Amino acid sequence: MQNALTEEHAGEAMKILIVEDEPKTGDYLRQGLAEAGFVVDLARDGFDGMHLALTEAYDLILLDVMLPGVDGWQVLQAIRRAGKDIPVLFLTARDDVEDRVKGLELGADDYLVKPFAFAELLARVRTLLRRGSKAKEAETLTAADLELDLLRRRVTRGGKRIDLTAKEFGLLELLLRRQGEVLPRSLIASQVWDMNFDSDTNVIDVAVRRLRAKVDDDFEPKLIRTVRGMGYVLEVPEAA
Amino acid sequence: MRLSITLRLALLFAATTAAVLLALGLFIGQLVDRHFEELDLAELTGKLELTRHALASVRREADLQALPVRLDDALVGHHSVSVAIETADGKRLYQSHHAVALPPALLANPGADTPAYALGWEHDGRRYRAVSALAPSGIPGQAPLLVAVVLDLEHHAGFTATFRTALWAAVATAILLASLLGWLIARRGLAPVRSIAGVARGISAERLHDRLAIEEVPAELIELVNAFNEMLSRLEDSFRRLSDFSSDIAHELRTPVSNLLTQTQVGLSKSRSSEEYREILASNSEELERLSRMIADMLFLAKADNQLIVPFREEVDLRAEIESLLEFYAVLAEEKSIRITCGGQVTLNGDRLMLRRAIGNVLSNAIRHTPDGGYIRIELRQTEGRGVLLSIENSGETIPAEHLPRLFDRFYRADPSRHREGEGTGLGLAITRSIVHAHDGEVSVSSTSGVTCFSIRWG
Repeated sequence: MQNALTEEHAGEAMKILIVEDEPKTGDYLRQGLAEAGFVVDLARDGFDGMHLALTEAYDLILLDVMLPGVDGWQVLQAIRRAGKDIPVLFLTARDDVEDRVKGLELGADDYLVKPFAFAELLARVRTLLRRGSKAKEAETLTAADLELDLLRRRVTRGGKRIDLTAKEFGLLELLLRRQGEVLPRSLIASQVWDMNFDSDTNVIDVAVRRLRAKVDDDFEPKLIRTVRGMGYVLEVPEAA
Repeated sequence: MRLSITLRLALLFAATTAAVLLALGLFIGQLVDRHFEELDLAELTGKLELTRHALASVRREADLQALPVRLDDALVGHHSVSVAIETADGKRLYQSHHAVALPPALLANPGADTPAYALGWEHDGRRYRAVSALAPSGIPGQAPLLVAVVLDLEHHAGFTATFRTALWAAVATAILLASLLGWLIARRGLAPVRSIAGVARGISAERLHDRLAIEEVPAELIELVNAFNEMLSRLEDSFRRLSDFSSDIAHELRTPVSNLLTQTQVGLSKSRSSEEYREILASNSEELERLSRMIADMLFLAKADNQLIVPFREEVDLRAEIESLLEFYAVLAEEKSIRITCGGQVTLNGDRLMLRRAIGNVLSNAIRHTPDGGYIRIELRQTEGRGVLLSIENSGETIPAEHLPRLFDRFYRADPSRHREGEGTGLGLAITRSIVHAHDGEVSVSSTSGVTCFSIRWG
């Protein structure tokens, strides 16, 4: 599993700062991220958030825009002005273009509009964290006896050649690159098909089912798993 | 300064009547003056005639002595008239009882035998009018004598003054009265406007169906009232849509929320295995994701309604966008063995992501409603000028005509029994319409003999 990134980075857990004033949201985010293997600090207002961001070392900051006292924009500005290059993902309740543009101009790396799916947040967080680390570009991706050759664009399992369509190949590549991570449908749609709107169809389910038929049906162990209510994950079962 | 129309009209009316009445007053005054002038002239001419006559009968010096008596007799009772006779060298031969200082102009320039005008002047606060003429006496060899007849205007000055006062008083009263009447008339004339205002004041959200009665309105206001009624219709329509939308939202949210509540509370009612809990949470999560998608869609529509959606403009290759969408939906089409064809190639100036979403919604809708083994035909065409026509045609049940105009409405489902089937939020086509409108386009749909065709037209 040369490419399976865990949250253990050089033996040390990644540190995330959450700045969120809504108590329940803050608690759930902290719990969710902690259970995903991150070390999490939670600031409940902009002032504490700014203080922590400037004094502690974090790998990523989750920043709510609407905060009492010092708002998210000001926190973001303060971080950037202090010359800190930490990835910042901002959370906004307003789906305004201006908001997005403002955030990205101020130096945010990504944004999520509330309400968002936790799986989506987790996927984005991991993408941002991965951006920093310079993993060697692999030529093959593997899981158990499944092998995907990026250069020759060939997939084999147990030595048997599997024919995939271009999109199936892209889907499998995404699942393999991020094995162990639950990928929400919206993320799959945007990464594999470049569809950035929420489709009200079950395209992803059908596509995954077809991929499974080719990759998993005739083999053991089953690698691609549905996580109900969250999305799909490719991982080698531990019992195996 | 803001003047009411009533006041404006009343003032205008007052000003015009004042002008007319003043002119009329001046004219009447002039007429009366002229009339007196003519009367005076006639009297003066008469007396001049009389004097000349008397002079003409003078034959000898002795007659000249008797002349004053004769003239005095003739002038008895004519208190306002005085007569003077002078010789050419300025010697006064006769002066009637009421001596009046004669202006030199009168004496220097004797007029014609029957004068056409009288000389007027003022002296000691009294006004006079006079004529003068040369009159030959009957005495042979004597130079013509100068006869001056003077009329003291005092006798009718009193009348003229009274007349003028009365006239101007009448004019002033008439102006005041006319202004007052003008105001009343303007008020009465504008009564329909006030009644319109009254109705308008009574209109509230609950009474948007009220209309102004067109038959009771004067011709000039028909256009205004029509415009007003049309505005009310539009407002009523928008308002109805809005309130339909709100109740639809409530309805659409009620089902998933009630599912969530029931499921969660049933789940909590006794202790269960973690597998069961996981099942409940997963199901809740699915329901919540649907809800959150619906909220995002509704927000998008709300922004579109308020013209807050400003498409980014760039050249978009619609064919390429459709190809990407077809790639995305390919698995669904294959599952149902739907044949999809796409023809034509056009570019459009617009927001790539929005257009993709708009077309994607129509496509997924078409795929959903095409039966197994059916077909979808997509066509792109350049129309006149820079116009673009995109049509997406699919085989399937004919949609009854009464549903067609409402297909793009929020939460509208032609077949209520299909409710919630297929995971849709019921907002897809409404979003398509909003995006197309934001790009200055139009959407339409037709459905005949087993073929439904959605058309999007730009330009």
